[in-house]
Amino acid sequence: MASSDFRKINIDQYDEDQLLEEELYEADPRDPATVLADAKSKAAGVRGLIAKGDLGTALNSVLENAPYGPKVDDAKILTLQTLLLILNSTKPAEIPTRVKALSSDCQDTLMKYLYKAMAMPGYADVNSSALLSWHEKLTEVAGIGCIVRVMTDRKTV
Amino acid sequence: MSAPDAYNIAQVPLTAHAFSPDRSALALSTNSNDAQIYAKDGYDWQPISTLKQHDKLVTSIDWAPTTDRIVTCSQDRNAYVWTKESNPESPSQTIWKPTLVVLKINRAATQVRWSPLENKFAVASGARSICICSFDEEMNWWASKQIKKPIRSTVLSIDWHPNNVLLAAGSADMKARVFSTFLKEVDKKPPPNVWGDKFPWSTVCGEYSSSSGGWVHTVGFSPSGDAMAFASHDSTITIVYPAAPAVITLKTTMLPYVTLIWTAEDALIAAGHDCQPMLYSGASTGWKPVGSLDDVNGPRSSNFSSASSPRTPGGGGGGNGPAVGRLNNAAFNRFKDADSRGTSSIPGTPSSPGGGLFGGASGVSGGELMTVHQNTITSVRPYEWSPNGTVTKVSTTGVDGKLVIWNVSAAVGLAPKLAGVHLR
Repeated sequence: MASSDFRKINIDQYDEDQLLEEELYEADPRDPATVLADAKSKAAGVRGLIAKGDLGTALNSVLENAPYGPKVDDAKILTLQTLLLILNSTKPAEIPTRVKALSSDCQDTLMKYLYKAMAMPGYADVNSSALLSWHEKLTEVAGIGCIVRVMTDRKTV
Repeated sequence: MSAPDAYNIAQVPLTAHAFSPDRSALALSTNSNDAQIYAKDGYDWQPISTLKQHDKLVTSIDWAPTTDRIVTCSQDRNAYVWTKESNPESPSQTIWKPTLVVLKINRAATQVRWSPLENKFAVASGARSICICSFDEEMNWWASKQIKKPIRSTVLSIDWHPNNVLLAAGSADMKARVFSTFLKEVDKKPPPNVWGDKFPWSTVCGEYSSSSGGWVHTVGFSPSGDAMAFASHDSTITIVYPAAPAVITLKTTMLPYVTLIWTAEDALIAAGHDCQPMLYSGASTGWKPVGSLDDVNGPRSSNFSSASSPRTPGGGGGGNGPAVGRLNNAAFNRFKDADSRGTSSIPGTPSSPGGGLFGGASGVSGGELMTVHQNTITSVRPYEWSPNGTVTKVSTTGVDGKLVIWNVSAAVGLAPKLAGVHLR
């Protein structure tokens, strides 16, 4: 069988003028430590809101200014855990109302987290059936355009 | 609402198209190394001549409305300007004679467009550059000058500002830019406008990112040139008003658009992977979708005017009649069609891009889309203007090998129906 090793050669490394990942989107202006601190304070706030039953506000606060880009993996994981907590505590009947109340930017971010969670089966709080029903309702509201944006956006969560 | 005129031109994807100034002929790239000229014969379009010179896929064609010259560009890194001459052997016939364009690029040429005065043209390329070409009398060829900075990736689309100097370019580095292409041998100094006061060669007059990081597939200046729109692969359309200043981004619920044109100062048509042209309207205060030019909910047989499109879902029991017998079902008919008529081997038969369930407006019935185009629309171009300068008809070609001419006004009546599709 023919070798496929040539496919693993990074031909761009010989290009002096190669296009780098960080040129494709604007970096988060916050530094990684601030991002992590923000994520921690949001997580604490969300637990309070869930206890009060105010899931709409909780969802919005997690999705707004969600961490993206390199070097903030801890904040990303913490945000995912916080979000899963909200998704799992929402009653299925309430999902459409929650989804419609979000801004279109937040809808895109929510879709990114849904795909991220679905890519981590068996991870602590990942509940596939809850994720799938959120995905279904979100697609009904935001359309396939929302899924396309998850695939194209380099600002991964 | 008047039905669109649809023509089945070929069984292969149509990569690009351009009409002759009087609309009696049509230049097409049928996904091959040659550009074809078609002329209207009764209802159908028949090939009359072939522009044979490229040795890779022809990616784009433009036909100059005043000077009646054609320019083609190709993945073979070349472009040719074609002029009409009478055939020396039989003077009654005309032939198209190519003139060389010296592009000096090392990657494919992706799109070519004549400038409004037709004394220059621009070629976008995969070599992270745009070539601005003008005619060199001495050498009898078209010489080019390149714009390279700050383009970081393949330039996918270009569009000229009406002042013959500014050029919009959309690129795979997720950005749309506006450049000055001022050549002192060719151009007079343009007056200041909303994009700037002075325009020396290759000035960047504007740079805009696509909102969720998609390749910018298509760019377009408004008729006045005071606004620019671009659509990118993240299913968004962005409209830029440098005077306001305002940047309006519309996130659509549908698949991405790959081509757009302005029909008036307050309206544009975008088309692409959703297989139907969509009309948008607005101003610097905001934009909204108006509707599809394609009546996806209407009865297909009555508003589809093509003479040569087999559209019945199956033989025997007819479209909607109850299936009689074990073998008379949709799947069986599909295979039967594939066997006897070769229908499923048409490249245009999609596996279902844009399923009707997910917010997209295209319904799927028996494997065929409810839209006129059965696959991605590759280019939309103005076809007819009203006396006041607004575009009244547009032409589209697609991967399904169809050419369709649409009435722009057809979309207006659809607004309430489509709004329902969008917002449910």
